[in-house]
Amino acid sequence: MPTKTLLMALIAALSAILILLAVFWEPVPPRPIARIAPHERLPAATAPPAGGEFTLQGAQGNVRLSDFRGKVVLIYFGYTYCPDVCPTSLSLLAQALSELAPNERERVQGIFISVDPERDTAARLQEYTPFFHPQIVGLSGTAAQIARVAEQYGARYHKQAPDAEGRYAVDHSSATYVVDPQGRLTGALPHASTPTQIVAAVREQLASAASR
Amino acid sequence: MIGPTCHGCPDPTSTCPPEKFKAMKFRSSAITLAAALAMPLSTLAGEADLTVVAPYVRMVPPGTPNSAAFMTIANNGTSDRRLVKADSPVARAVELHSHTNEQGLMRMRQVSAIEIKAKSRTELKSGGYHVMLIDLRQPLKEGETVALTLTFDDGSMSRVDAPVRKPQALLEAEQASAHGRH
Ligand SMILES: [Cu+2]
Repeated sequence: MPTKTLLMALIAALSAILILLAVFWEPVPPRPIARIAPHERLPAATAPPAGGEFTLQGAQGNVRLSDFRGKVVLIYFGYTYCPDVCPTSLSLLAQALSELAPNERERVQGIFISVDPERDTAARLQEYTPFFHPQIVGLSGTAAQIARVAEQYGARYHKQAPDAEGRYAVDHSSATYVVDPQGRLTGALPHASTPTQIVAAVREQLASAASR
Repeated sequence: MIGPTCHGCPDPTSTCPPEKFKAMKFRSSAITLAAALAMPLSTLAGEADLTVVAPYVRMVPPGTPNSAAFMTIANNGTSDRRLVKADSPVARAVELHSHTNEQGLMRMRQVSAIEIKAKSRTELKSGGYHVMLIDLRQPLKEGETVALTLTFDDGSMSRVDAPVRKPQALLEAEQASAHGRH
């Protein structure tokens, strides 16, 4: 009887699905670091960036991440020849800094790391970042130093071919990395995060530092 | 986006001959201020279908060589138009650019034209299309206006005075307009 065969086939198919589900089903565990660059779409096998200590060049000499121990550090990778993305991101960061209460703000530091150290000297950066906010320091370094720090934090950049006048643009990722007062990378805010979102991320870190 | 090209490819037509704009440069500030306040701006020669709304140039930190101009271009006509060229006396090179966000990587590329469909509008805005001002001849100061000449595919030209705006002021304006929409 065709109806019976069909029914049997259906039952068989449903059982197969049930067995497959039973074997392979794993409830999705809560993501431990939910804010690690959701826009980065890292391949599943890639470990989240480790972050950590670095030493780069400021206008007054070496600057280390550990110089800011006790503060929440917000790190952005960009370049001063950038006409739009970097000024926009730094304005959002500056706006967030000015929305914090003074007692919160004194425990926050912004860092702008140049992905174009060829043109962005530490002196040039000193002219650039305070325009947005006095609490954002600009850091440069050798190409190798910058590449290492970018890799540590999961930032990406790619210099484009220069034109006839030697002008070039640099493609770059546009996340803001959030480092807790112990110097640990806790997550990354995606490109175009609003001042409200940045403020929330800072307060979260300040609160969890206070509760420890 | 129409025909993206490599940012490195120089466009020989994009450099503005300074003598052409000498007269414009020294217009009285009262006129430029009045023009800046009169929005939407339209100074099209013979073609009233295109209107440029709310143009501005981003103020950049001292010593910064590049900036960008943003605006909305409305096409009230019945045929599609393309912005094919922009000129300005303030920069040594002016290019039409797009931005794309490719899995978090922000890529800026020169485009040969920006399309404004019939009965539609195209926004040149932060993170998207912009008129890139490359190698500024002088620092842009807040309160000044930047003269831009836009050329469209039908040969019509639009003269726009775009005020220089601080990023912070831009942000507040954006927040205010976002708020206003609700
Ligand atoms: Cu550009």
